[in-house]
Formats: sequence, C-alpha cells, structure tokens
Amino acid sequence: MRRAILITMSMLLALSSLRAEAGDGARATPPGLVDFENDVMPVFTRFGCNAGSCHGAAVGRGGFRLSLYGGDPDADHRAIVRQLEGRRVNLASPGDSLLLAKPTFALDHGGGFRFDVDSEAALLLREWIAQGAGSGSTRRLERFDVAPDRHVGEPAGEPIPLLATAHFDDGESADVTRWTVFSAEDPSAVEIDGKTAEARVSRPGRHLVIARFLGHVEPIEFVVPPGEMAVDLSGEPRHNLIDGFVLDALEVLRIPPSAPADDAAFLRRVTLDLTGRLPTPEAVLAFLGDSAPDRRTTLVDRLLRSDEFTSYWTLRLARLFRVRAEGRGPNRELAGAIAYHDWLSEQIRAGVGFDEIARAVLLASGDTHRNGPANFYRTVPGPRAQAEFVGEVFLGSRLRCANCHDHPLDRWTQDDYHGLAAIFSKVRGGRIVEPDPDGDVIHPATREPAIPRLPGTVHLRDAEDGRAALASWLTDRDNPFFSRAIVNRLWARLMGRGLVEPVDDFRATNPPTHPQLLDALAEDFEEHGYRLRRTLRLIATSSSYARQAAATGADALDDRFYSHHLRTPLGPEVLADAYSDVLGIPELYGEEPPGTRAVSLVDPETPSRSLDVLGRCGRVDSCEAEGQSTAGLPRSLHLFNGPLLNARIGAPGGRLDRLIARGAGPMQVVDAFYLAALGRHLSGEERRFWADRLDEQRPAAEQRAILEDMVWGLLASTEFRSNH
Amino acid sequence: MNPRSRCDGVTRRDFVRVGGLTALGLGLGTSLRARRASASAGVPAPRTTSCILIWLDGGPSHLETFDPKPDAPEEVRGPFSTIASAIPGIRLGECLERTATLLDRMAIVRSVTSPLGEHNLGTHYVLTGYSPTPALEYPSFGATVAHLRPNPGVLPGNIAIPRFTGNLSGNGYLPGETLPFEVGSDPDRPDFRVRDLEIADGLDVDRLARRLEFAGSVDALSRGRDASSSPPGDPDLSRAFDLITSPEARGAFELDQEDDRLRDRYGRGGGNNVGQSCLLARRLVERGVPFVTVNSSGWDTHANLVQLKQRYPGDRNAQLPSLDRALSALIVDLEDRGMLDRTLVLVMGEFGRTPKVNPDGGRDHWPNVFSVALAGGGVSGGQVIGGSDALAEYPAHDPVTPADLAATVYTLLGIDPTLELHTPDGRPVRVAPQGARVVRELLA
Repeated sequence: MRRAILITMSMLLALSSLRAEAGDGARATPPGLVDFENDVMPVFTRFGCNAGSCHGAAVGRGGFRLSLYGGDPDADHRAIVRQLEGRRVNLASPGDSLLLAKPTFALDHGGGFRFDVDSEAALLLREWIAQGAGSGSTRRLERFDVAPDRHVGEPAGEPIPLLATAHFDDGESADVTRWTVFSAEDPSAVEIDGKTAEARVSRPGRHLVIARFLGHVEPIEFVVPPGEMAVDLSGEPRHNLIDGFVLDALEVLRIPPSAPADDAAFLRRVTLDLTGRLPTPEAVLAFLGDSAPDRRTTLVDRLLRSDEFTSYWTLRLARLFRVRAEGRGPNRELAGAIAYHDWLSEQIRAGVGFDEIARAVLLASGDTHRNGPANFYRTVPGPRAQAEFVGEVFLGSRLRCANCHDHPLDRWTQDDYHGLAAIFSKVRGGRIVEPDPDGDVIHPATREPAIPRLPGTVHLRDAEDGRAALASWLTDRDNPFFSRAIVNRLWARLMGRGLVEPVDDFRATNPPTHPQLLDALAEDFEEHGYRLRRTLRLIATSSSYARQAAATGADALDDRFYSHHLRTPLGPEVLADAYSDVLGIPELYGEEPPGTRAVSLVDPETPSRSLDVLGRCGRVDSCEAEGQSTAGLPRSLHLFNGPLLNARIGAPGGRLDRLIARGAGPMQVVDAFYLAALGRHLSGEERRFWADRLDEQRPAAEQRAILEDMVWGLLASTEFRSNH
Repeated sequence: MNPRSRCDGVTRRDFVRVGGLTALGLGLGTSLRARRASASAGVPAPRTTSCILIWLDGGPSHLETFDPKPDAPEEVRGPFSTIASAIPGIRLGECLERTATLLDRMAIVRSVTSPLGEHNLGTHYVLTGYSPTPALEYPSFGATVAHLRPNPGVLPGNIAIPRFTGNLSGNGYLPGETLPFEVGSDPDRPDFRVRDLEIADGLDVDRLARRLEFAGSVDALSRGRDASSSPPGDPDLSRAFDLITSPEARGAFELDQEDDRLRDRYGRGGGNNVGQSCLLARRLVERGVPFVTVNSSGWDTHANLVQLKQRYPGDRNAQLPSLDRALSALIVDLEDRGMLDRTLVLVMGEFGRTPKVNPDGGRDHWPNVFSVALAGGGVSGGQVIGGSDALAEYPAHDPVTPADLAATVYTLLGIDPTLELHTPDGRPVRVAPQGARVVRELLA
C-alpha cells in the first residue's frame, strides 16, 4: 500500500517536471512534438542502451543493434521501427511497445532495469510512439557544452552543480543536463550524483569528468589544490615563455616548486636528453670548473650543434617513423631502411623544418632503396593502416576506433577515417612507391568506395591530388594538431611527461595539463620554421627544466605539473651505450664493427641479446609504449647472472682494470665510477658508506671483488638507469 | 602378441614393467602427500584451480589423435589404425594408447571450429578467445589468470616451458608482468637451466646479496632527501634476487629431484622435450603457479605423417608417442598427488589438419573442425562433446568456437567470463567475448 502511494507520487512528480520543463522550453524540442534525433536518441545514450557494452556493440545485443552513441540516426530508427516486424513499437498501444517494456523490465531484459515506467524517459518514448514514431527532426544539434568546464575549489567542498546545454541551428538552446552522462575518469576522486547532476571532489589534484550527450563529449576539469596555503611564486626565475605558464599552474595548485638542480645534475640531464649519452668524466670536471654565468646556455648550444645530437635525434625520429628492414628470411631487405635512416639523419643535421620533413614523406615516391622518405609508404600494410599511422605520427591521435564507428571519445568520424584512407589508397606501396589512380577503400557504412577527405574538414574534389592537399592542410599554420603533436613529443622527451599524455592520444576528452603553454610552444615552433632544435633549446634553457628531481615535500605527490623534475628510464639503446661507456668496453652488435653504438644501429633487429633484454622496440608497431611492456624480471635476472655486466665489469682493459692497474686507491676508484656513471663526485655520506666497506687492509682479491660489486650496484641502480 | 611394433617400440614385456612402475609411483605419491600434509598442517589448502596448457604448436592433426575416422576412405583415414579407449565406443589414434586408457578422466571436444587457418591468426583466436583484430591484441589465458590471481610466492604467475609460442606476445593489452616468463631452455637436456637463473661463474649468493645491497644503497644515498612518492630502488631486482636465491623457487626447476623412474614415465630423450616439460609444469603448479604453458613444437605436418609415429627405425620419441607418454604420466601423477581436481590440463593447438592426405603424405591447415582434450580441474571426464562429420571436415553437431572454449576454460578456472578488464586507454574488454557460450556439459 505504502509502495503504491510512493509510485503514484513519483509518477506525479515526473509528469509535472516534464510539463514544467516542456513549458520552459527546457526539453530539446518545442512542446508537443517529440523529435527522434534530439529527444529520443539522447535517452539511449543517457541510459547506456547504445554503449559499446550493450546494443551499441558492433553485433548489437540480444538481436537489437543501435549505432554507437547514436552515430547513425537513420539506422537506429530503422532498427526500432522496422526490424522485428515492427514489434519494438506498438503504435496502437504505445505502452506495450518492446522499446518500453524492456528497459522498464516489464519484460525480461538482458540489460536489466534501466528506468521506471513512470520516468520522464519512459514518458518521452511513449509520447514519441503515440505521435507515430517518426524519424523527422526539425533542427540540427550544432554544439554541446558544459558549465563549468573548469572548476577550482577546496577539497571536500560543496557539491558542484553541472549544467549541460545543447545549441541548435535554429538559434535555440536547451538544458540537456538530465540526458547527459557524466563520468569521472577516477571515480574515487570525483563522485557524480546522477540524479542531481552534482559533482563532489574528494581528493586534491586535477581530475577529469567526461560529459556525454548523444554522440558528443566534453571534458570538465576539476582542480583541488593539494597545498593548503597560497604560494607566492613572483620571485621565481623566469628564463623564457615556458616558465610563466608552469609557475601560474603551480600557484593555482599552491605547490611550491623544488630548488634548481645543481650543475652536475643539469649536465647529466641535458647531455642525456640532447645526445643520448652520459657526460664524460672530463666534461663533468670542465663544467664543474666553469664559472661563466651563461655556462648552461653555452652547453645547450654546444650539444645542439654536436654530431651526437644528430645521431641520437635520428634514432628518435627513426623510432617515430618505424624505420626497419622490409620482409623476412631470404627476402629481408635493409637497403630501404638505410636510405631512410640516412635521409632522416641529414634532415636532423641540417635542421630542416618538421613541416618539410612531413611534406617530403607524404609526397614521396620512387625507389625506396634510393629515396629514403618513400619508405613512409612501406611501413604499414594498406591504406587504412597508413591513415592510422599518419594519425599517430602527425596528429598525435588514435584514429583506429573510427574504422568501425565514429570515435566514441573524440571528434573523428567514420567518414574522416575512411576519407583519409581513401587518400592513401591512391598510392601503391612496395619497393617502388607510385600513384595508383584506381585504388580505393570501401566505406563499411555505405559499402561504396570512400570519398577522399581531410580529417574533420572537407571531402576532396575528384581532380585534387589527395596527398598534396593533405600535406598542405597538415602543415598549414591553422592546423591545430600538427605542431602541437610534435612539440608535445619534444616536451615529453625532456620533461618526462607530455602536456598531453600519452603523446599519441590527443583527444577531445584528454585535454592538456597546460593548454596555453602547449599553444605557445606550437606558435613559437611555427614562427621559427618548425625547427626541432629551436623548441628543444627553449625547453632546455627554461627554469622549469632546470629543477631538481628530488621533491621537497609539498610537491611530493605532483607527477604532472613540473614542480620537480620527473625521472625517466633511459631507453634501451641509450642504456646499452651507457653501460659500455662506464665499463670502458664496447658491446658488439651483430656483424657491425666493434665500437658501433646502439643508438646508431639502423636495423632494430640487429642481433643483440642485451638490447632484447633491455626491451628495445622492433618498430613493427608503435614504439610509444616502450618501457611499459618490457618485462622487468628477465631483465633483472640478466643483470645478476647474464653477461651484459658480468662479462665486462672486471675484464682486462676495462675501466676498473685500468684504474687498479694505474694504482688508484679504492676510494679513488669509487669516485671515478661515480663521475663516469652519475656525472658527479661522491657526497660526504657516500664517501663514508664506501670507505666503511673498502677497508685498505683487505687482501687485494677481496678488495677487487668488493669494487666489482660496487660497480655492479652502481650500474643496476635506478639512479643510473634513469635520467633525473 | 602381434609382432606389429607398438608406437614407441616398447615391447609387451616392457609395458608390464611400466605398469609396475605406475603402482610404485602411486605409493611414492602417497607418502609424499603425507609428508607435505604434515609440513603444511594448519595452512588451508588452496582451492583455486591452476592450469597446465599443453600447446601443440603448428596445429596437430585431429585425425591422428582425438578424432580418427577408421571407416573413412584411405586418403582420409591416413596411415595409422585406431584403438579402443576407456569410453566404450570411442576410439583414438593408435599412438595415444596410454591416453586412451585414461579417457574416463578426460573429456574431448571434437567439434571445435574456427575460420582461421593461418598460424598467427589461429593462435590468437584459440589462445585468447578473441578473433584477432588490428585494433587490439588480447591477452592469452595465462596472462589473464596471472593478472587476476597474482602469485604470492616468488615464482612468476605465468610461465612457459621452454618458450611461449612465437605466434603471440602473450600479454596482449595487460601489463608486462603478465607476459609468460620463459624458462628459455630445454628441460630434457641434462644441463637444463632456467635462463639467467643460475648464479654466474665466479659469483655466489653472498656476492649477489652484496650487489643487491649496493644497488639499493646507491639509490638510497643518492635520493636521501627526496620526499617524492616514487620509492627508490627497483622491486624487480629484489624479485629476481629472491627467485635466484630462494631454494624453494630454484628447487621448482630442479628436475633431478624427481625419481628417475617417474622421469622416464613422462618420457625423455630422443629430441622431444614434451615429457620433461610436463613434469616441470607439475612441479610449478604444485608450488602455486596458476598457469603454465608447455609448448610442444613440430605439429605442422605438411608432409610425411608417419613421422609422427616414428622418425627412424627404433625411434621411441616421435611426436605422438611422446605426447601420449607425457600426457598420461601427467594425469596419473597429478591424480596420485591429489592435485588433479584442482589442476586443469588442456591439450590443443591452433587448428586441425586437412582431412584428405596430400600428395606429400601430410596434411595441411584445417581450422573448420578440430579437437581439444581436457582433464582434471572440474572437468566432467569420460565423455566426448560434439562430433565431426564422417570425413572430419566440419562439425556434425554441437559446434564449439574458440570463444566458447575460452568462456569454458575461464569458468573452469573460477573466473567469470563476463568480467571486464580495461585496456591502458580505458576501454573495457570482457575476459571472454560477448556471446561466448560456456560448454556446460564439460563442467563437473
């Protein structure tokens, strides 16, 4: 009895709210007419019906398929009104429609109970069916936005009301908050009350909530400063345009930055970042003895001019472009990879703009064994993979989802994906890259050849050269992706984390941590000829880059606002070379001449157990995930028992052997290794630690064993294996 | 006795002796069991089910193993005869004679069907339950199990002997620590050692301990004043050290601790390592490792099927007799130790072989119907599920897809096949694909 009353009450409430809202123009359509696209379909998104785990799956669910988040209204209307002999809607008795009976659980439903029979959603569906279940739409949704889109507040503060608004092409807008799904990326940090559309932030930090209405997504950023007291950073050094943006963010977050790194730490950091090498002991001593006020800038400029810079950044681009041998077994050809590698190396050496590099690979043709950039079209199989590859390399975006449906978390549509693939269908890969005027790709939705299209913009006219149009669009200064994608990669390399992270995942729902900084870096890059050295220099000479890695307290939890420098593991090639340099004995790679460095290997499959164990990237797939996928256990076992370190630590002619032969005392040996490996002298505390263990009275053999173990400990430490 | 040589060249007399060994093995198992029980008194026995996957890499012929067609024309029947099994009316290929006697403990699915007849694609489908797509590589059973049930001991949760199949990375979208840990060398060799597990020449445990301490000290002293949340030191270094120096973990790999007669029963020598690999798998499962893959290569028989039985006169260690010996010994050994009901044994490859023997006397790839054998771990034994048509070309009834098989395997291992995992970019993915049907008849 009591329950019945409650139900009646809620029914009345629902009805009255529907009327009230309809009267206010709050529903997406003027009162009276229920619009399929703008009123009915949002219900499916709101209640998860068209999600990928439900009827939005490629094969549908329970025999009923909806397009993912309503990407295809016509197909959805057909599925609802025409399929299953029309039983999903009952025009004569709307309440008996399957479309209502299932989600209200009047009939058994695999997806369970979704909404009440008296809810606004149910009333809306019933009204639409009663009106004839038409497919018409009187206006088009132009834009969807949320307020606030950024909120800075106190922890455990008041609930924050969220408002979602749809804007239509007839100039009207409507409050669609109750048809919007708000989901927190980290539900343990932001709690969303689905009924009231309020957010409550429980943890300090920066948190994202994704608002989804129909097929549209918008991010909302919640910032709760981890620091309790306001910080005044006006006195912090600002070397160039970067520092203001970083310090502003820290001020909002009330995080005081760590102290600047000392000269030794800076030297090791910037030498590794710009040349992929450790500073030599001689370089360390020279730099520590240099008192010129501009010594750091002078150092950066010298490193940027060095051959080592060219060699290391050729490797970085070769990984990005996945330069590798073609074919397997007896059909394996390295000639293309060599031509490609040489070409990249020359671009880096000469400081060619990245826009020119992009144009060169996109427009390349001819014999891949002679013309390096043409190998761009031998890297991945087929036009769709080529479209995804271009998305990854030049847009920093993952287009793959848009192969089968509009991207659920981004702007890319299925037309964009297949339109871009259609451009590449006109190129024939193979040893000779040449135009293929008859090539096409089939659009899975239309089952017709897809029309070439510049992503997110326009279809191309028949006569247009797709690749030329794409290259101009991509490298146009108005292109919002191209420069940001590459400067973000450079930033991530030097700063330990991208402003957009992961660096190949630019996405509407993955906003940058410092959007204005990213804009400013991109603009500076474009104004100065898209030159990598320019941006690298800007970053390396900023005060934000020069902070110490150690956190001082308040910034301990910060892993993305650059209050202290982030530690990054040395890549496999750099680490392998660093081992050789410190041990004083080179490693051999396949048939390459002795002394060949790992960073300069053209072929990522050059036989080397060491590089395998250290987790090198074979460049068949993207190398962005390096480090995450390398298994730590085999590597650690190998450090202990494999030849990588053991065969060289005490070997004749190596650094340890030479030092001992020269008559260096044990503490001199330790200091020499710290200088070679960590780019600094021993601290007082470290000196005491090692002196305790290296008692001069021991027999020479025992002393030597302890020194060998010292070298091992140094080279296996995370301090050595990372840049900081 | 019929002078026809038995599959592995063992004479009838030998067989009697082998049978005697089985009885002896039983006694040994019981006493071992008693000792273990007293050693671990008060510790509740783990009830979770582990899995030993015997992966027949290359695609084993269903016609020569679990689904022979004795009444088919010769070009389909192939070179071998068939034998009766412990299930009345069910016959196996002649070389699986020991396995045949254990069929009351096993179930065979004879109607597994897939459209994918290429090694990489087929392997992906059969070992992950997902048809391969360029969008995502899925985790194999072992990675999923290791991910959901991290092994509390020092041994990794997903181990491959001697290596994992080259047709799949293994962990798919799951983190690197779920990758199959490859022991990396052949357990059948007298000098068998796990790669890099053996302490290097000139070093000893004390030196390694000192090295680990020094590495930790370098980090701790370098970062003395650092308050940042990432702890200094490398947990993998300690894990590796524990593995190297733990007598329990190292002992797990010491096959010579096993009775020689038991080792013989699993089969050894002759260039075939499936026997000792299975024995090692049992030792690992016994120590709590939730998933072990025994990778047996050499099943891609495009030519000369008879070599499956004998490669040269007097050969006792060809593929089929070796598999028969290893599988039967494993089942009996697990049973003797009371482990069979919590150890799922899975025998399969990426597809079957063409029903018609080709001009080279071999069979080519055939995914349209093939067989999978299961034992222990909650499997309802003594039955054949599904069946192929008269020529072993297609399922005649009750087809089972690799997706169905995955849902069934996960269910047997106590993992809900509808459970959602997440890719690094947050996409939810079910453990087994949507629509996958658990083969209920297999569950005890």
